[in-house]
Amino acid sequence: MISCTVIFSVTIDGFFNIRNYVNILSNSAFIGILAVGESYCLISGNMDLSFESVAGYSAIFSAWLTGSSLSSSGFDMNPYIALVLCLLVGMIVGLVNSYLILKLKISSFLATLSIYIVVKGLAITLTRGAGVSMLPDSFRLVQTIKIFNISLIPIIMIVIYIIFYFILENTQFGAHLFIIGGNIDAAYSFGVNVKRIISRVFLLSGALAALTGWLITAKANGANPTMASGMLMEVLAAVVIGGVSLKGGSGSLPGVFAGVLLLSSIRSALNIMAISPFITEVIRGLLVLFAIIIDSIKRLYLK
Amino acid sequence: MEILLRIEGISKSFGSVRALNDVSFEIFQNESVGLVGDNGAGKSTLLKILSGNYLPDKGDIYLNGIKVNFDSPIDAKKMGIETVYQDLLLCTNLNSISNLFIGREITKNYPGLKILQKRKMGEKTFEIMKKFGINIPSLKERVEFLSGGERQAVALGRFVEWGQNLALLDEPTAALGVRETRKVLDLISKIKKEKEELSMIIVSHNIQQVLEVTDRIIVLRNGSIVGIRDKISTSPEEIVGLITGAISI
Repeated sequence: MISCTVIFSVTIDGFFNIRNYVNILSNSAFIGILAVGESYCLISGNMDLSFESVAGYSAIFSAWLTGSSLSSSGFDMNPYIALVLCLLVGMIVGLVNSYLILKLKISSFLATLSIYIVVKGLAITLTRGAGVSMLPDSFRLVQTIKIFNISLIPIIMIVIYIIFYFILENTQFGAHLFIIGGNIDAAYSFGVNVKRIISRVFLLSGALAALTGWLITAKANGANPTMASGMLMEVLAAVVIGGVSLKGGSGSLPGVFAGVLLLSSIRSALNIMAISPFITEVIRGLLVLFAIIIDSIKRLYLK
Repeated sequence: MEILLRIEGISKSFGSVRALNDVSFEIFQNESVGLVGDNGAGKSTLLKILSGNYLPDKGDIYLNGIKVNFDSPIDAKKMGIETVYQDLLLCTNLNSISNLFIGREITKNYPGLKILQKRKMGEKTFEIMKKFGINIPSLKERVEFLSGGERQAVALGRFVEWGQNLALLDEPTAALGVRETRKVLDLISKIKKEKEELSMIIVSHNIQQVLEVTDRIIVLRNGSIVGIRDKISTSPEEIVGLITGAISI
């Protein structure tokens, strides 16, 4: 990650610039927060695909509750009460996910894939596909309040990383995540409460996704039902580049954070170089692949 | 010597297959008992009943004279029965310390928050390993980088600390080389000497090894006990005869 930043800084005019770094940080906030929830899921040996549509639903839902444009609910709700409701929705989705996985024994991939589609549909149904704008000013505080010229949104992300890093590395809950992801039979046999831990993981992932959606709306000052689309693959890429194993049982949040920043840097570098937008997706994809190949080579030969 | 464990008339069927048929025996305190038999004789089923993985169809288990019911492995653990499974149930993605403390992490508890006491866990692991002469290059090395014998030692280390009454060992040397097997057998002997309150049941295919580390041997065939022999008054030939049915009673 650092070497990549250095290379970009040296080779690209205008990359080495505090403002650009602040931009990279700000632009990575949403992907970054979502990646925390996904990392927890993957470390415990599960996969959550539903977070993208939860974030999208939360984005349009919070706008719908608080906005005063034509397609809103007309409740004129306080945005912070709306945040609580969004978090509740996210946690309910998390509960449904864990019910499907734990009680009905559906694989987490399939369970969360179906929920992903359902919630995505719900988001479109809510406003019949229309966007919502004219939100109260208090909604935008996380974007307008700035500390050292950095808005609160990336700061919230950093705080989340610190808290969740601590939980993962220093609590029994975190240790149990690695145990379940490493050997679920051992977890059962040695009295780890597998069901409780996994349902908590999905609760957390749902809540983080809901928070992200709310933040997206706050930043954009409005929402449409497809706000978060495309984030699923971006988050998965960041998490895998960050060294989280898709098989479960390994990964660290500093690594994930680096992965998130790397993706964001690549995007920023491509922007600054003013490469035709038609080709940037291809280049980004190849760069992600490149990062994964380097990581894989490192693991094969440095053992 | 006092009787630690008594099982009476245990039967277990899987569909139409009778895995165990009216099995009864006793185990004394600080006694090591070998459980031998051919494939399908019912050794694993019996072990899994004692470890709480299976419920018997019929029969009773008494621990220290009190009737017990194990609905899950956790119940058995609460009664001080520890199992070392054949596949060891290690998390190879974690280090020896974490593996030793699976489900029993030392924590400092705050409301809603259990903080790991990593240093204490490390010290305790070191203590256990030292006491039993278990030699692992680095306790912080992930288990996937350890040898078979070292992995077995980590698995054995678990019941050394937490097995209060009975340790069940399922094929402890099955996947090991000659030298590693030696080490593990020495370790088992040492544990028996050091932990005076602990009894062991060792399931194995290797009769020589069983004779070396146990006091008595129970032979199973087709789900029934066909012989219980004291180590001093039997021979490997007799045990093999009992297992194969060449000697009948």
